[in-house]
Amino acid sequence: MAASGATNDEMMDIGGAELDNNKNEKMFTLKKWNAVAMWSWDVECDTCAICRVQVMDACLRCQGDGNRQAGGKQPECVVVWGECNHSFHHCCMSQWTQQNKRCPLCQKEWSIQRMGK
Amino acid sequence: MSLRPKHVNFDETWGTLRRTIEGVVTLSKVPRVEWNDRFTDVYTLCVAHPEPYTNQLYSETQTFLRKHVQALRTEIEKYESNSSLLKVYYDMWVKYSQGVEYLNKLYSYLNQQHVKKSKLSEADITYGGVTDMPGHMIEIGELGLEIWRQDMLEKIQDTLIELVLEAIRSDRRGDTAVSTTIVNGVVHSFVAVEDPKHRIPGDPHTHLTVCHPFSASPTFYEKAFEAPFLQDTGRYYQQEASKLITTCSVSEYMEKVIQKLNEEDMRARRYLHASSYGKLSSECHRRLVSDHLSALHSECRIMVENDRRQDLTNTYGLLKPLASGLNVLADTLEAHIKKEGLEAVGNLKPETAHMDFVESIILLYKKYKDIVNTVFKSDQMFISSLDKACTAVINFRQCTKNPCRSPELLAKYCDALLKKSTKGYSETEVDEKLSQSIIIFRYIDDKDVFQKFYSRNLARRLINHLSHSMDAEEAMINRLKQACGYEFTNKLHRMFTDVSVSSDLNNKFNDYLTKEGIKLPISFSIMVLQAGAWPLQQNPSPFAIPQILESSVQKFETFYGRQFNGRKLTWLHHLSSCDVKLSYTKKPYFIIMQTFQIAVLTSFETCDEMVYRDIREATRLTDDQFVRHLQSLIECKLLECDDKEFTQDSIIKLNKGYSNKRAKFRISGAVQKETPQEVEQTHVSVEEDRKIFIQAAIVRIMKSRKVIKHNVLIQEVLQLSNGRFSPTISVIKKCIETLIERAYLERTPNSADEYSYVA
Repeated sequence: MAASGATNDEMMDIGGAELDNNKNEKMFTLKKWNAVAMWSWDVECDTCAICRVQVMDACLRCQGDGNRQAGGKQPECVVVWGECNHSFHHCCMSQWTQQNKRCPLCQKEWSIQRMGK
Repeated sequence: MSLRPKHVNFDETWGTLRRTIEGVVTLSKVPRVEWNDRFTDVYTLCVAHPEPYTNQLYSETQTFLRKHVQALRTEIEKYESNSSLLKVYYDMWVKYSQGVEYLNKLYSYLNQQHVKKSKLSEADITYGGVTDMPGHMIEIGELGLEIWRQDMLEKIQDTLIELVLEAIRSDRRGDTAVSTTIVNGVVHSFVAVEDPKHRIPGDPHTHLTVCHPFSASPTFYEKAFEAPFLQDTGRYYQQEASKLITTCSVSEYMEKVIQKLNEEDMRARRYLHASSYGKLSSECHRRLVSDHLSALHSECRIMVENDRRQDLTNTYGLLKPLASGLNVLADTLEAHIKKEGLEAVGNLKPETAHMDFVESIILLYKKYKDIVNTVFKSDQMFISSLDKACTAVINFRQCTKNPCRSPELLAKYCDALLKKSTKGYSETEVDEKLSQSIIIFRYIDDKDVFQKFYSRNLARRLINHLSHSMDAEEAMINRLKQACGYEFTNKLHRMFTDVSVSSDLNNKFNDYLTKEGIKLPISFSIMVLQAGAWPLQQNPSPFAIPQILESSVQKFETFYGRQFNGRKLTWLHHLSSCDVKLSYTKKPYFIIMQTFQIAVLTSFETCDEMVYRDIREATRLTDDQFVRHLQSLIECKLLECDDKEFTQDSIIKLNKGYSNKRAKFRISGAVQKETPQEVEQTHVSVEEDRKIFIQAAIVRIMKSRKVIKHNVLIQEVLQLSNGRFSPTISVIKKCIETLIERAYLERTPNSADEYSYVA
């Protein structure tokens, strides 16, 4: 089936594709690479223990805000790591620390190690 | 002249007064002076000393009027059964009623001082209590009309009504000799004799109150004239209808009925009192339409099938006033749309199924939407017929085991329109077609299935840069959002955002490279996707990327690490692609292929022949993935192999004589095609998502209700999932079971069908 896969109608623009008559030219020259990668927070547990939403998704509060926003654009909802290496949504944790300055998972005093960006 | 009470000779005064009132009721000329004197006489008599003559005056006047009317009757009875009776009566009535009105004015003092005092309040009349008081005084004008009713109208009403009816009958026959004024005047005299306040004929505003809202008993007009008139009309149209229905087609019949109803409406306005308009038309309607409902209903199907719009308009107009008259028509329409729809989408060619499916349903929808709007005046009942029929067609399943294909076909349709390859459509056409697809989308039950397919297609378009226009993509997502809400399109939006973020990122990366003085061996562009938002499979296989690409990976990771914090990157090589130039062929070719394919192909850099096993080990792809990519390269003739079935030792050769008409092209990858397994897989993942959705819904409900009956819970779950999909009861039950097992809820001990939430 894939023999028909040489689709004619998808002409591609190839950067710097003029013929160069280099005799020592390799048989295959890679011109351009269209790479694809996926990013995720570098966390041990992919769920925020405070709001029970995946850290990759915005926390519930932010999702609600996004709902209200006319454009429906996701607001920035980043992840925060404590010195204990536990991670949460930054918004969730800010709420939490107003009442309790300890990590909800290990009860160690909470101090921010780094912040997602 | 003194206003003081004084002695009066009643007989003398009455004698002069009598002469004058004779003149008044016959509308003879009464000089002003005489009128004024008699006016005073009435006053004088009413205040006479020592005894006022009020009662005597009243009864003498009554006797006088009675005699006068009786004399008129003697005269009129000469015309018995003669059509000129109508005219004579009318003339007499006009004169008499006018005269009585004047008389009423002459007796003003008596009316005001004596009648008003003994008059009952409105409330007394309304709520009963006092019925007819004998000897009770009424205003002279009213008295005059009352006497007319008793001594004239009631005596000759049978003859009179028969003449009126005959006149109206002849009007129906088209006889123009009937005098509208006379018939109208006679009819209205029936109204006038009962209530003097509304005596001016032909003024509908004052007449409306004649039919007293509180009085249950019919008025004289209703009893004496209206009832026999309606009966006569009924009889007439009964005959007329049965005559017509046997000689005409239903279509002609309706035309005639509409004409007759209109005529009768006009007739009512010409002859009758306003209170009768509605009654007359409903009587006619009953005889002409209700009585022949089955005949009209039996024609509905044929009218709908043959798209006889005029007839349908007529039917709608005629049946609309009946309580449930339109049901049959609405059901017929629904059944027909459904039938036509299922026929249209019943036999789709596999290659163009998505196009044919969507376009024929849109065509169907438009056609019937137009009919509903124009013929059925956008009647809610017919809108819902169309909705029900469309829902049935769109969600039809040949057999219950297979999932409905509509969501998939619709998603594919959108994909085809949004792809670059869309030929022959202008931008506005594409836009219009996409707008229309929302119509179908709204009818789809399994919106979540559509979402799955749509997001897969969108991902493919975005990653492979196949989108025709980003504006069109965004517009479509906004349409879906409008139809189904933010949550539904949330992920689609995020995918979209990733694309624009990535293009920024590429610019920044290039700036970074320049600044650092790094030159990559290859032009590099990347798309960084947010995990969770894209419907992508994980890397299907380990992979050793060609060495030339490694530096790009490293440099980008360093750059990315500096740009962001706490993020990790996973390279999705199975989705990436490469532009490669072939130099070993007669002329150079520029081909775009997947990175996996490149890896296989570039193994031949140093030799023209390789063993299957060696290539696979070099790329480190799994057997299953490797075969697919190798196969795709052989199928497009870049590689060759003599073995039909690969073995570990198969020899693979580079096709050095490769040639193609085109110098630049893309070869499609093995995994790019939507395979049946993938469709299957999509449906499976939808099933999974649904279970999670239902469980979440149950927990949410339980959290707020704490204790709930089984049936109520099921209902609420159905309500929550409505708009996304319609779960089966058994699936919901299974989810409840699961949650009980996982101790989210439990059955309450005292009731068999009740659950409580376990916090």
